[in-house]
Amino acid sequence: MAEEVKSIQLYEDVVGPAVLNQLRQLAGNLEGLKVIHVNSTKTGGGVAEILSWMIPFMRELGIDASWEVIGGNKPFFHTTKLFHNGLQGNQVNLAPHHIQAYEETNRQNADRLRDKLEDADIVFIHDPQPAMLLQLCPNRRGKWIWRCHIDASQPFRPVWKYLRPHFESYDASIFSMAEFTRALPHPQFLVAPSIDPLSLKNVDLPQSEIENTCRQFDLDPDKPILTQVSRFDRFKDPLGVIYGYRLIKKSCQAQLVLAGGGADDDPEGAEVLREVKEAAMDDPDIHILLLPPDAHRTINALQRASDIIIQKSTREGFGLTVTEGLWKGKPVIGGHVGGIILQVINHHTGFLVNSPEGMAQRIRYLFNHREIIDSMGEKGKEFVRENFLLTRHLREYLTLMVGLRRGFADRLIAAA
Amino acid sequence: MKDEVISKNSQENMVDVTPFAIKDCALIVRICDLLPAINLRELHERVANCPVDSLYHHFCETAIRPSFDDPEFHNDFARWARRALHDHVLAERLEILHPYSFPHMEELRKEILDIIADRLSEIHYIPWALHDQAFFFKQATTVVFDTNRIIETPEHLCDAVKEMSTSSLYYHFWEARRRTPEKIDDFSFWLKGWNDRGKPLIDAFSRIDFYFMSLKELQDKLCTVMEEVGKTWRKK
Repeated sequence: MAEEVKSIQLYEDVVGPAVLNQLRQLAGNLEGLKVIHVNSTKTGGGVAEILSWMIPFMRELGIDASWEVIGGNKPFFHTTKLFHNGLQGNQVNLAPHHIQAYEETNRQNADRLRDKLEDADIVFIHDPQPAMLLQLCPNRRGKWIWRCHIDASQPFRPVWKYLRPHFESYDASIFSMAEFTRALPHPQFLVAPSIDPLSLKNVDLPQSEIENTCRQFDLDPDKPILTQVSRFDRFKDPLGVIYGYRLIKKSCQAQLVLAGGGADDDPEGAEVLREVKEAAMDDPDIHILLLPPDAHRTINALQRASDIIIQKSTREGFGLTVTEGLWKGKPVIGGHVGGIILQVINHHTGFLVNSPEGMAQRIRYLFNHREIIDSMGEKGKEFVRENFLLTRHLREYLTLMVGLRRGFADRLIAAA
Repeated sequence: MKDEVISKNSQENMVDVTPFAIKDCALIVRICDLLPAINLRELHERVANCPVDSLYHHFCETAIRPSFDDPEFHNDFARWARRALHDHVLAERLEILHPYSFPHMEELRKEILDIIADRLSEIHYIPWALHDQAFFFKQATTVVFDTNRIIETPEHLCDAVKEMSTSSLYYHFWEARRRTPEKIDDFSFWLKGWNDRGKPLIDAFSRIDFYFMSLKELQDKLCTVMEEVGKTWRKK
């Protein structure tokens, strides 16, 4: 089911009128500004989700915003997956033909987009896939910002050495956390991502729909549900989750849901999915769900049906699935990595863990203290309301754009 | 430049007892041009050299940036000492620092440096953090904007504060102390122009230990205080 475009006004009930007023006041400084976001996929993954609400909102606020998706063939996406893994620290084999596929695809896209990009006031390039476009647009008149959504703090050196020159010429970059940054010769801003509370994935659902979804996937209503929602990706450690679940199962009744899908730019997912199915060994209480990219409402229902949300990543960007789980009032057991650390506060919104054993121990603790599950859930939801909804995210982009227009030399800028 | 603009605005609020113009602010945070610190000695060296705006960010803007609302620590240095260096003593000594009790941020810098140097002299090793837990020095640009809302009289202040965003409250109650000549909050600055009508509120506001509250707690506290003072107004 496709996400419908919503008006910002609808969010007043969730965040209050003052927050919307902030956005309008800030955007008043940016009226008519030509802003273009460029990424590599229209569906699947956190970036596409963010852009699918951010562009209409910017337009509603009077900014001339648009979204361009670069096209590419299989070798290109295979290469950018290598980049993705390499930036996150995995050793990868980067061969000349990979570089050729990357550069050729960027050149083709530059030919298609050059006029538009060169004419924009601000261009946001998301992740490494389209990063080469900057040097292919020599007559650009606006500011170009590289938006890195992944943890690039300890990249595999050959990948970084190749990509770094592509990033260096940008006017600024944005990272989700300070810990994800690499030294670059331009200002590096920090903007945490967010979720849309009214999207199909996060909107309140009737109980009957949640129950129907459970029936659809043969989930037993009498057994607690543990759910990890993520791509089938090694960094999400689905095998570790299954191992941890087996430790719990020795003493507690529970079901495990591993729900995920592939993204257009992730060819590795099928291989990981096969490994996960093997590890599950036909256990009827392990539900491996390969969902289409538009199964947002299904994911929403699965999260709401869950007792505890798991995100046991070993490397993570920000971890929007954690934010989604917290928003649904569920405690989260998360890997002690990346942006999960910002969201999972031990004993308040969930627990950070470093091993399958840690995951099992914390889940058993919560199963034996049901009242804590509820209190953590309440705290987590308010935490997200204050910090990780799209209105805060949009406000920071608008603030950044005001700064880009007026200059960051003076620390404080009095807006009109 | 903005300091001047804002100070002038605050002065205007006071001199003519003109309505109080409610402003709001938003931050965009960036990494300072300093290498992250990985051990206590490096932290000392970086604190000595970081921009004063960075100290302000790590001590004061913690209230407004995305973070858990019930923090164990109110400044980033104390938090890092505890979580990354596992030095509980140092964390406690840094946590008790109240940045607004210093006449200016340079004095705060000296105090932090003293505390770290003292600690380094007490222990026989240099506490260090794991490579992925380095301390990153940050600073923020604050964009200030009008809300197009005003407060006419002190009696309207309570309702206005109830409806304020937390960032607006931060701007008028916390950040004001950095830019107003008397280093007081904007409400008190404005209330001074109301002489006897403003004085009970000014006195009550000055007794609030705001630094160790979240902005939501501060909002509730201000409203409680104003409702109590309001009762005395009505009796008169």
